[in-house]
Amino acid sequence: MSSPLKSINIVAAALGGQGGAVFTNWLIDVAEANGWRAQTTSLAGVAQRTGATIYYIELIPRVDAPSADPVLSLFPSPGDIDIAICSEIAEAGRMLQRGFISRDKTALITSSNRVYSITEKIDLADGTIEPAVLLDLCKAYAKDLVAFDMQSVADEHKSVISSVMLGALAGSASLPFSKQSFVDAITASGKGVDASLAAFNAGFENAQAGDVQIFEPQTGSSVPLAALDDNRFADPIARLPASVRDIAVHGVNKLCDYQDAEYAKDYIDQLQSICELDDGTNDHELTELTARYLALWMSFEDVPRVAQLKLRESRMDDIREEVGADPANIMYVTEYFKPRPEEMCAIMPARIGAKVLASKAGYKLLSAFSGGKKLRTNTISIHLALKLLSALRRFRRGSLGYQHERAMINSWLDAIKSAAKRDVNVAIEIAKCGRLVKGYGATRHRTSEQTQQIIDHANRTQTGNPGDISTLLAAALADDSNTAFSKAMTSLA
Amino acid sequence: MAERSFKQEVQKLRAGDGEVFTGEGILAITKGLLQSGVAYVGGYQGSPISHLMDVLNDAQDILGELGVHFEANGSEATAAAMLSASVNYPLRGAVTWKSTVGTNVASDALSNLASSGVTGGSLVIVGEDYGEGSSIMQERTYAFAMKAQMWLVDPRPNLPSIVDMIDKSFQLSEASNTPVFYMMRIRGCHVTGEFVAKDNVAPEFSALNPVSPQREPEKIILPPNVYRQEQEKIADRWPAAIEFIKNNKLNEWFDGKYKNLGIITCGGTYNTVIRALERQGLADCYGNTDVPIYVLNVAYPLVPDEVIDFCKSKQHVLLLEEGQPAYIEPEINTLLRQRDIQTKIYGKNLLPRAGEYTGHVILQGLTQFLSAADHSLDLPMSLEAIDALGAPLKDDEFELLLKNVPPRPSGLCTGCPERPLFSALKQVQDELGPFHISSDIGCHSFATLAPFNLGNTIMGYGLSLASSSGVRSALPHKSISIMGDGGFWHNGLATGVASAVFNKHDGVLIIINNGYSAATGGQDIPSMMNANLIATTMDVDKLEREQSQSIENACRGTGVEWLRTISTYDIESMKQTLRDALTTKDSGLKVIIAEGECMLNKQRRVKPLMKKAINDGQRTVKARFYVDSQTCTGDHACIRISGCPSLTIKDNPDPLREDPVSYVDNSCVGCGVCGSNAHAAVLCPSFSRVDVIHNPSAFDKLMWNVRQTVIGWLS
Repeated sequence: MSSPLKSINIVAAALGGQGGAVFTNWLIDVAEANGWRAQTTSLAGVAQRTGATIYYIELIPRVDAPSADPVLSLFPSPGDIDIAICSEIAEAGRMLQRGFISRDKTALITSSNRVYSITEKIDLADGTIEPAVLLDLCKAYAKDLVAFDMQSVADEHKSVISSVMLGALAGSASLPFSKQSFVDAITASGKGVDASLAAFNAGFENAQAGDVQIFEPQTGSSVPLAALDDNRFADPIARLPASVRDIAVHGVNKLCDYQDAEYAKDYIDQLQSICELDDGTNDHELTELTARYLALWMSFEDVPRVAQLKLRESRMDDIREEVGADPANIMYVTEYFKPRPEEMCAIMPARIGAKVLASKAGYKLLSAFSGGKKLRTNTISIHLALKLLSALRRFRRGSLGYQHERAMINSWLDAIKSAAKRDVNVAIEIAKCGRLVKGYGATRHRTSEQTQQIIDHANRTQTGNPGDISTLLAAALADDSNTAFSKAMTSLA
Repeated sequence: MAERSFKQEVQKLRAGDGEVFTGEGILAITKGLLQSGVAYVGGYQGSPISHLMDVLNDAQDILGELGVHFEANGSEATAAAMLSASVNYPLRGAVTWKSTVGTNVASDALSNLASSGVTGGSLVIVGEDYGEGSSIMQERTYAFAMKAQMWLVDPRPNLPSIVDMIDKSFQLSEASNTPVFYMMRIRGCHVTGEFVAKDNVAPEFSALNPVSPQREPEKIILPPNVYRQEQEKIADRWPAAIEFIKNNKLNEWFDGKYKNLGIITCGGTYNTVIRALERQGLADCYGNTDVPIYVLNVAYPLVPDEVIDFCKSKQHVLLLEEGQPAYIEPEINTLLRQRDIQTKIYGKNLLPRAGEYTGHVILQGLTQFLSAADHSLDLPMSLEAIDALGAPLKDDEFELLLKNVPPRPSGLCTGCPERPLFSALKQVQDELGPFHISSDIGCHSFATLAPFNLGNTIMGYGLSLASSSGVRSALPHKSISIMGDGGFWHNGLATGVASAVFNKHDGVLIIINNGYSAATGGQDIPSMMNANLIATTMDVDKLEREQSQSIENACRGTGVEWLRTISTYDIESMKQTLRDALTTKDSGLKVIIAEGECMLNKQRRVKPLMKKAINDGQRTVKARFYVDSQTCTGDHACIRISGCPSLTIKDNPDPLREDPVSYVDNSCVGCGVCGSNAHAAVLCPSFSRVDVIHNPSAFDKLMWNVRQTVIGWLS
């Protein structure tokens, strides 16, 4: 027996709160207006908050005949899906994983943007997945593919992603319905119609153009200085391997901004001494890594640095843009600071700072001034105070905090150098540990401790095995309670 | 009010004879009830039937016009007990809940109801929360129907069948004096479609026309009545039910040309079977089939004559019975064996014993059956081809795919008032832990997942404190139980608090009070009820709550002496209170009521007001949070103690740094938790609150201009 008619089966994957239900209702209205029947069903369940939600829609032409009630399925099934539409690229991956994308059948329409999952977000370093891999697989396994960043199109038109999804669906010409019938359905819904239509039209145009775009996160540097204009830096940077130069330029810029040219010169000198020991393995990976992490470490975030960054002129403009406040609006920014006595001592001259920190009375006195502070940056007194703190960077080299960090940096560089003489691969792994040093307060303390332990381990064992170091680094990044790291240290001891 | 309003949709319930009704399954059921002359309705919310409660709640005008009584019951046990109205009187009643959890809660009353027997039709509409999208342990309602001798209706999932079977179920219940389970699967609850409506029927007896009280002592469940009632179930009610099902053709037989083959399926899986047959070229989209199908719209009890009739002329019959254990399959085999009929029954030998019968599973099972039963059939898809459809990717590519498809566990919403409580608890655990925590049912169950990872067991709704009572003696710290306000009223007050005080339980109970039953879609609970019957959750600035039943008074009434009420958003106070409760020398139960309004509901309440204020030219301050990507170093500790959807990550703008920075997106509602956490956990100086002043006053403008000018000079 063969069916006189075949339904068009559509699976829509969205995230809770993205308007999947609105999308589905529009689609029902479009189908009805075209003389089709629509059966939809959804799985809300506990996914209603932040989880992935699935809507399933079957469409079939109405036939005017007795007993012509179609029997439609409530389950999406592999090999039986004509259109899959996803609000996010990882969700398109999930459709692929579930077998809902068939090479000979399924048109895949997906937004290429990312909505990060909690597992990606809680990583101590970078736990994000690679959207480009997903897009490649989508390209390989969908019959047709439309992929573009629907979220930014929605943002551009001050609308929601469901409008763009509907536009993309209409524009993909996967359904036998006119554009006008989609427009009518949106118009009839009567709420935020203009914005929805604008977003719909943009989605439509993108899909018509057959767009497949890779999601490219925005990057950019806001550091103003140009290291290459200065001969003190241009020459030594030119002598560095090509793969290192860009990073070195950024490093010099950052450190000039952080302290002064002399400080940046010191950075370049250190880098050169590492470069001399680099045998060129992996396109001078050792020098590249050191260039990156040394610059970051040398520009560690002490109180003057934080104050300096908070006062940067472009900052208020960035915030205005981010929160969508126009220049006419009055906008106050309240900083949440909680310096501990440790951070306060760190900006004191080393000898005094160490003494205060060691004395109970001194610590207690400082504790009275520490604790949670909410400071309004754009009031005169707070601005002045931050300015004063920022100016303290002139005396940074004599501070307790600086001397502490400098000693650690030196021991890291020494360990790299000493390992490089044995095996550059081990030195590379030690250099990578520079990534570990970050954060404030307890986080900074933990990561510094771990880095020092790895350095000590390398020095003590004179290890020739780069795997040991990389195991320790991975363990340090596995959790923030030091559990995996101490286990790894024990097993290597 | 509940999260989703059905105020407009319920107007459809007024549809009269011949009108075409379109909508969701849930609405169709309500319409079916009204067409059947139902006298009273009730239930307890929970997916997948939460919306049924919302529809009933929103339809009170229409119910009132007809004289239909509605109650939002305190628990499923309350709802089940409500059905006792049908024991003595010809009142049709229907209650609804999530099953099997709700059925378990209701089982005491249900068993007694089933033993007494009913005069008026009694329906329990169960949302069978089984398979994908479920939020509970996987069991079936079927076993309960069998052991209590209630009937189980499992209609085909299309709106005409759903509506028709409501009326038939009432009739079946009355003809056999037996309460009936009316089962809806998850997808069936949310399915959309259309049917031709009938006029609503007002119940014969109601507040408008009361019954005259009468006693039938033989229906009371005391010995010796109970012995007679059991005999009656078997001797009278069961045969009456079978007779009714047979005479009214509740089960359906769709014939087909392959007479030696057959498929027996429950109504709920019928559509999936048709699609599988259609894909194998053996059926069309209108349900015409080559393979005969016997549809059990009544899954329990079986009608032996019908089963025999269907099977006896066939050599091979496939039975599709979802879930485990199999109840129908052994029953059918016994029936055939007793009559020495040699038809071969295929079932759990081909299909999975456990798990949902999805389209793919049924297609696989059906194909196996057809290949085994009739080698001459030329199927368009082989079993291998079907398996391949389910796994289109090459192995290495699939592995690559899996690495790049992150799981998306459920989490608390943006601004959720429960988040700061768990942030505080996690920080206190760092000081005093590790903790063993008894968790409960509700949004707070999500605290057992990333990023909080707090909680060891979940034993049932309102049962967290009860489930601490054994383990407390073996713990190194005072027991910790977390319960929602919903669970507290559902069960926790009696089984938890009263019992703990009675047993001198020296532990800590945290009751999260957000003013409504949040996880099920925002329904009213006793501690928060507005005069207009539709709650708006608590507005902490406005103490209307005094009129409602207070959790605090309820606890004190059971004898709790140590009790603190803390705003969840005050993380420092919460941490201190938790420390106090866990370390105090005071014996007895320590109750912390952690209260905070659901931010989504607050947004629904406040946003229109704010918009209006701005449009009206009133001075209005809008706040949200911001992470400074220049000072953020990408460690994400802030996310690990929050998990707020609006606190996310983005690429690091610093070309030297590789780790993404934390980032607050535009869905931020400005609840302040990330800032408080930055303080409480001493995180970093990257969090800022941004206040934008709309319609500033003259003073605002003056101060702003002065400040901007002076700061300009300073820079």
